[in-house]
Amino acid sequence: MSRDKLSEERLSAFIDDELDGTEKSIVFEALNRDSELRQQACELRQLSELVRHAYNNPPPSQRFQKREPRRFSPFGQAAAAALLIAVGGAIGWISHKPDSNAAEVPDMRAMVWGEDDRAFHSTDLSSATSQNGLKRVILHLNTSSPARFEEALTTAERLLNKYAGDSHGAEIEVVANASAIKLLRSGYSPFTTRVQALQQKYFNLTFLACKDAMDHIRELEDLKSDVRLLPGVEVTPSALEHILERMNEGWVYLNV
Amino acid sequence: MNVIANLCKHQQFRRALADYRENLYRIAYSWCHNPALADDLVQEALAKALKNSGQLRDPHTLKAWLYRILSNCWRDHFRRSRDCVDVDEVVLVDQETPDINHDRNQVVHRVRTAIALLPMGQRQVISLVDLEGCSYIEVAQILDVPIGTVMSRLSRARKALKERLLEAEIQCGSTTQDGSTVHRLRTAK
Repeated sequence: MSRDKLSEERLSAFIDDELDGTEKSIVFEALNRDSELRQQACELRQLSELVRHAYNNPPPSQRFQKREPRRFSPFGQAAAAALLIAVGGAIGWISHKPDSNAAEVPDMRAMVWGEDDRAFHSTDLSSATSQNGLKRVILHLNTSSPARFEEALTTAERLLNKYAGDSHGAEIEVVANASAIKLLRSGYSPFTTRVQALQQKYFNLTFLACKDAMDHIRELEDLKSDVRLLPGVEVTPSALEHILERMNEGWVYLNV
Repeated sequence: MNVIANLCKHQQFRRALADYRENLYRIAYSWCHNPALADDLVQEALAKALKNSGQLRDPHTLKAWLYRILSNCWRDHFRRSRDCVDVDEVVLVDQETPDINHDRNQVVHRVRTAIALLPMGQRQVISLVDLEGCSYIEVAQILDVPIGTVMSRLSRARKALKERLLEAEIQCGSTTQDGSTVHRLRTAK
């Protein structure tokens, strides 16, 4: 598909994750072939970031002021804490059972590059990873949603656990660009401990941050030096190009 | 028991509305670029939401429902002030406020100005998608337009923003005294 045929509307929809698997694979193929189109996609993503940044802190509302949180007496706090522990403990004891799904591959839509027909294919994660040689998964994050990052970490951990005994082993890369950089940023990420724990536990798990997105943050915040990342997080010049490269090498792509 | 259940439900609903207040204010501000008017619009939208809480069938659609009410309030405001103008085609000129003066040379100001110059229909779509992360279907429901219109407005808005912000960069670069180029707004990556 040439760039003329791929409308700007479709590219915008791709950026906003509004396309279904088939349409997404068509855009991926076009991106794979056309470096100008990749540039255009990056520009659209950066534009969304700029809009978010511009309204991150609107002028304060005069009418609505945040209420101070209600304060309880120390005695009340102690009583509430004791009650919470007791109730939580009881519920935990009653409902405790081994999590049979802990090592299951979650049911998510993934994408792979077909070497035979030289095309991207939409598939589900479990069937993509059940094939031989396809235990390499690239998890892509482009929003600063902590829930999505949590989902990505859980998915990565489940895959690594599931294929721990496999002769091929598994290899996972978590690639962050756009506002997802925040989640790998030192001093900003609420996942510092979790990321470090996972890095120590799994040697075959890599976290990567997009240099383009980091530079963009540096410009927006007028920083003198590069954005500081969590320890052990690697940097790739362009997330999009890295993803396309990996997919050409046979990795399974997953947009979280 | 029903009375207690209803009371709890009502309390829950009020809390849910309070949780959305900041988001509604941000969206309202991105549409009108006037803090006092944004305040009024949010107040009006919340009052209507409370009054018509029974109309919300599915609690999961609260977000889209609230933005739809806000959009109607904004439309009503325009009808009151400008009877013959189609709100979708309105372009607001840059409005001077103390905060705009303060960050005149900042990225934030330039982006807000570029957004203020978009026709209202495009501005509403881009703010709902980029600021609030609404899906295209949600935006279509909120603004009561076909999904194709959402896509075309969004695409046109992004194209216009790209051109304006890149133009701003060129102008900014040409005004430096030492001849160096300023790349504060570079969007090309």
